[in-house]
Amino acid sequence: MNKIVIMIGLLLLAVSAFGQQQYPRDMKFPQIEFNPATPQEFTTDNGIKVFFLEDHKLPVVTLNAYFKGGDIYDPQDKVGLASLTASLMRNGGAGKLNPDQVDFDLEFLAANINCNSGERDYNIGLRTLRKDLDKTTGILADIILKPAFDTAKVTLEKSVTQDQIRRQNDDPGQVTRRVFYQTIYGDHPYGWYATLASIDNITRADIIDCHKKYFVPDNCIMAISGDMTLNDVKVLLKKYFGDWKKAELTLSAKAMAETSYKPGVYYAQKDINQANIRFGHLLMTDENPDQYAFEIMNFALGGGGFSSRMMSQVRTTAGLAYSVGSYPVYRQLMGLHFSYCVTKAESLSKTLQMMFDVINEVRNNGITAEEMELAKESTINGYIFGFDTPSKLVNAYARNELRGFPKDKIKTDLEKYQAVTLEKCNQVAKFYLNTDDIVIVITGNKGLFDKPLDTFGPVTDVSMEIQ
Amino acid sequence: MSKSVVVLGILMMLLASSLGAQEAQFDVKQFTLDNGMNFLVVERPTAPVFSGFIIVGVGSANERTGNIGSAHLLEHMMFKGSKLVGTTDWDAEQDLWAKEDSVWARIDMARRQTRYVALNNPEKLDAHLKFIESLETILDSLAEASSQYVIQNEFDRIYTRNGAAQFNATTGYDFTNYFVSLPSNRLELWFLMESDRLKHPAMREFFPERDVVAEERRQSVENSSDLKLFEQLIGTAFISHPYQIFWEWRSEETNLTRDDLMTFFNTYYIPQNMAVAVVGDVKLDDVRKFAEKYFGDIPRGKDFEPIYTEEIEQTGERRVDLHYESSPAVNISYHGTAFDSPDEPVFQVIQRLIGDGRTSRLYKSLVLDKQLCVDVSVDVFPGNEMGDLYPGVMNIYAYPRDEVTTIDVEAAIYEELHKLATVPVDSLELTKIKNNIDAAMIWSAYDNLGLASYLASTQALTKDWKYLYKLRDKLKAVTPEDIMRVASQYLADEKRTVATLIPLENGGDNE
Repeated sequence: MNKIVIMIGLLLLAVSAFGQQQYPRDMKFPQIEFNPATPQEFTTDNGIKVFFLEDHKLPVVTLNAYFKGGDIYDPQDKVGLASLTASLMRNGGAGKLNPDQVDFDLEFLAANINCNSGERDYNIGLRTLRKDLDKTTGILADIILKPAFDTAKVTLEKSVTQDQIRRQNDDPGQVTRRVFYQTIYGDHPYGWYATLASIDNITRADIIDCHKKYFVPDNCIMAISGDMTLNDVKVLLKKYFGDWKKAELTLSAKAMAETSYKPGVYYAQKDINQANIRFGHLLMTDENPDQYAFEIMNFALGGGGFSSRMMSQVRTTAGLAYSVGSYPVYRQLMGLHFSYCVTKAESLSKTLQMMFDVINEVRNNGITAEEMELAKESTINGYIFGFDTPSKLVNAYARNELRGFPKDKIKTDLEKYQAVTLEKCNQVAKFYLNTDDIVIVITGNKGLFDKPLDTFGPVTDVSMEIQ
Repeated sequence: MSKSVVVLGILMMLLASSLGAQEAQFDVKQFTLDNGMNFLVVERPTAPVFSGFIIVGVGSANERTGNIGSAHLLEHMMFKGSKLVGTTDWDAEQDLWAKEDSVWARIDMARRQTRYVALNNPEKLDAHLKFIESLETILDSLAEASSQYVIQNEFDRIYTRNGAAQFNATTGYDFTNYFVSLPSNRLELWFLMESDRLKHPAMREFFPERDVVAEERRQSVENSSDLKLFEQLIGTAFISHPYQIFWEWRSEETNLTRDDLMTFFNTYYIPQNMAVAVVGDVKLDDVRKFAEKYFGDIPRGKDFEPIYTEEIEQTGERRVDLHYESSPAVNISYHGTAFDSPDEPVFQVIQRLIGDGRTSRLYKSLVLDKQLCVDVSVDVFPGNEMGDLYPGVMNIYAYPRDEVTTIDVEAAIYEELHKLATVPVDSLELTKIKNNIDAAMIWSAYDNLGLASYLASTQALTKDWKYLYKLRDKLKAVTPEDIMRVASQYLADEKRTVATLIPLENGGDNE
């Protein structure tokens, strides 16, 4: 923060004290000190890594168990395996309880257990009232340790998943997103989507093996917060997870994604009166130190909502869209940068060109010092909102541990944002931003567009057939 | 901020009742300004942040043909700034807006005359269209002129720079909500910003914003199979009550004027028609001091007439189809009750019974047991948590499995609803519902914004935030007999409206 700015601010505040009009733009405030509680952590005898934050303001507890694994470890002919394994842990019966009993016991106690498979990990989450903690943790433990994978439920879950695939072209935004990821990542696992055939290929034995491999205590990280003490946590975990046997897990190595796509326009035909646009290119991994400057630069470009150039030009000034923006995604095996917009079909080319112009302007001439200050202040002053409940805070610690990031990452990230310079912002803009060798996905009806699609590059028609 | 996480118990939980049920109690402070504006405050210094929530008692139900879309577009315009924010010369802007408006009025008139010119004086049509074009050019140059005074998106930028999260607004049918979360030392900034836009709304960049809401409609309704179907459902279920318009029509919103919005604003954005909740690391005394300072000088407005139009009685089943490029779906609606009807708590229990969770009647039957649907869910429209200002509808949304007909799906749904009317609910199932009612109230206080929204919306609807306790007691008093009576009265075959999505094949290439 520039000292002169602060002094002018103080001066104006002083003037306002004498009855002058006070303007919000001149009000300056000290930065809130970022000093959140530090979770307690310990490792159980069988290797569960636990982060815990005591919090008695509500009689509730949240518990999330993370496991390395997840979607990128699916075999290519069985895409959907991790996801089915997770949902069937929740829905296929557990321990002595059949599937209906799991549902009823949880819902009777107004508790909630969610089992999800993510890109590189599983997340099994419990939300429960404190008074029912013993009972609901018992069910959670059965789900993690002793899922029954009821045969009829395996069949049901598979066929419902296939019916959801049959519905995958209903929503234009979903189509655009899927085609974009498939095209930009090509044959890399990040570009794989479950198909009718891949779901068909998955057997109950595959699911049992998948569960057995990944759901072991020394691959488990727990984030617990709520109305209990550290001793309560230890007693509870001993009781329900104490007999769980270690089993060393070796994760298979996965290759980095590389640029393999043919640049151009990928057109998905749908009879709608808007063009749904998403375009971009590969960017960087989640360990690349350029991400802090890129994040700040992109805020000004298209990530900062109304405070970004894309929103100002496409929406506020031109009225061409309700949704428009650009975002980086940092991923372990290579992230990407995308821009998106939804505009009426007859303004497709006008809008797309406007978005390209914004990106090229930033690439060639950079953002301004004022834009950078705004982006930094927003990021720094709003940083607290990523960690303002005990559950958010303790889960952030667990996820950083899971990804092998340093323990103090939530503090060092803030320092890295503070250290970003204009020079660095404009350097990463020049180095990474690109509107030439990119994938442009457009979903809509080309008969209604204001210019032919090949204005923006060679056009590939995307098959909308459900496979 | 110190490590106050552990110590500060803001919610006192009473381990009450012989059943061991836990009931939420909220420590809410309340005051009302002389102009009638009501404030609720929860001091909760867990983290150095707060959420501010302002509800205005107006929504799209207050519109009539000719100004449809006013509530929503006005909500958008509230982000354009105010007298203190977003402009370098407020007075110069006012003059230019007046000029823009008079040109717009002429364009408007000329456009409506076009069809009669074409019909009666076709030889003058060309000249007429050129005339419209010339007016549009004037309008553009006026907009260009006023843009020189605009500090674009400054309202957003000031909040953003100060670290705002969850900064947004929503327009409903009876209420419009404005909310944001900020670091707690920005409390005064929030008061200054919000009070200034509620005193001096800025109608700047009006014409592009009208296009933005039109684009929002295309995106959210016209190109969304779910909401496109829902619009048909609601338009068919209601004949006379203003709830019939699910989303403003494009032909209406693109003809709105600044005058339409200012009339709407002056009628409804009055202090006695607003409820405010501030939750977080704040002190009651500060909130009161700033409320007096920033909102105290708004004069009490003239009370407006409440909506008296009632929905006419439904006389038999109604059906409507949507032929669209999407997978099959069926929506079914039943007319319900207003929040203050004695049947409302029963209705809410029924909604949970048939629609809440995997053990709910419909999910269990249609998805898990009979395997007729990919998914089924239930909600209420408009759907305020405490009930609605006027009788709304309860909706069932069902998505059939591959090769299952909507006829079979409907039959299975009706079977469950008939059972509700004829077989008493067993006590275990009813206890499950009541446990969930208690738990939902406890969880509602988990974050600042959630609690602020919960309190302010209860206050705005019932004029008494403590109504949430009263409703809880009423919900927990619902009996199996109540459920049978209400189900047979409201969920009868001849009371339903059914909207069906019939798939069109992909390939509508209009080349």
